[in-house]
Amino acid sequence: MTPRPALNRSLLAFAGLVLLGGGLLILFAGLDVYRRHDLVPPAGWPLTTPNDVLLGSADRARWSSQGWWWWPAVIAVLALVALLALWWLLTQLRRGHPGTLPVGGTHPQEGVELRDRALSDAITAEAGALPGVEEAAVRITGGPAQPRARVMLTLTPQGEPGVVLDALHAGPLRTASRSTGSPPLPTEVRLQVAHHKPQRAQ
Amino acid sequence: MTPDPSPPAHNSAHRATAPLTKEPEKPGEPAEPGLPEQPTPPSNLTAGEDGGAHRTHRPWSARRLPAALVASVVLVAAGAALVDVVAVRAGRPAAAWRQRLADELATRPVDDVWMLTGAAVAAAVGLWLIVLALTPGQRHWLPLRSPAPGLRASLDRDGAAALLRDAAMQVAGVGKARIRVRRHHVKARADVRFRDLQQVKDDLTAVLDEERDRLALARPPRIVVRVRRHTD
Repeated sequence: MTPRPALNRSLLAFAGLVLLGGGLLILFAGLDVYRRHDLVPPAGWPLTTPNDVLLGSADRARWSSQGWWWWPAVIAVLALVALLALWWLLTQLRRGHPGTLPVGGTHPQEGVELRDRALSDAITAEAGALPGVEEAAVRITGGPAQPRARVMLTLTPQGEPGVVLDALHAGPLRTASRSTGSPPLPTEVRLQVAHHKPQRAQ
Repeated sequence: MTPDPSPPAHNSAHRATAPLTKEPEKPGEPAEPGLPEQPTPPSNLTAGEDGGAHRTHRPWSARRLPAALVASVVLVAAGAALVDVVAVRAGRPAAAWRQRLADELATRPVDDVWMLTGAAVAAAVGLWLIVLALTPGQRHWLPLRSPAPGLRASLDRDGAAALLRDAAMQVAGVGKARIRVRRHHVKARADVRFRDLQQVKDDLTAVLDEERDRLALARPPRIVVRVRRHTD
């Protein structure tokens, strides 16, 4: 259960549309835009004049006289919304990781598995020893079906991003894919540079 | 999106025809821009030795924090309403906040200043959420040319600035250099202590261009150099 960017973005867009639509509806009626610009809102439009209120007595009376099913339905919908929101929140807080990775690639060895932690530790150790790299941190993320690697490297002031990237690809990442016998994991590399004072040329 | 088990022969043949372009998307993949990894099929590493640089795009943010905030607000609102509705069904009086809220909503007309303010804030927040949903984010990271498909790299903007500053400080005559890295251009300002201003500027431009190429950025920014005489 890892955060899914597409899901997050869809739900954010939906929430944004609801807020924007509701806000504009109130603003249009409150600022009397319809009358000033001779616009005729369609029949049944909720708010049309500045004197309207959000919660009219007619609305309240209608809701109160809906029959026995109304309040159970409201409770069910509220419970569903609360549960979905809770699930959505929890997916943000959890960072999934595959647990174990199969060894052997297209012909997985029966019963042979590699802990994701072991793989990331191995990549970390080898990447941290590359020239120009001060610190490395590697995490294997994604579900068991689609493991991914995230590599954070802090370069020394002498490090060159292009060279380090090539070295990372030719060294630790190749070793990792060779030792698991599977094609290399989709990898995202983030490079930072260690903070240091400017050095003047002598 | 299981790792593509296509044999290496397929991959190398495919890349031999178009070594410098992005891998085409697999037809089965949704063209959803929000996915963190674009469907670049993981290739066999032995096939990745063509020396070609694969353009990587800016990684799309997962938008974790705004999603968590919106989820929390929805959860609290729905949870509070749920508790109170159930309590009222069980025969207790409605909570004070609910009565107050219903009263306000029933008495304040929509041209009330509080209603207008609230509506404006809601519309602004909504617009912001839509912008968050549609833009990649991660503006602080500059995508790098990557040595292989399936490998995406980006460099921190502050890190790029630090490396460019170090390069600028190596130019004779530069006393102090400030580098500002934006996404599409870099502004370098240097205080010159000695030597001819124009000469220092030419040297700086050459050195910074060279250092920029060393950064291996996917979209090398334009570098604008400004020099001024250092006065104590």
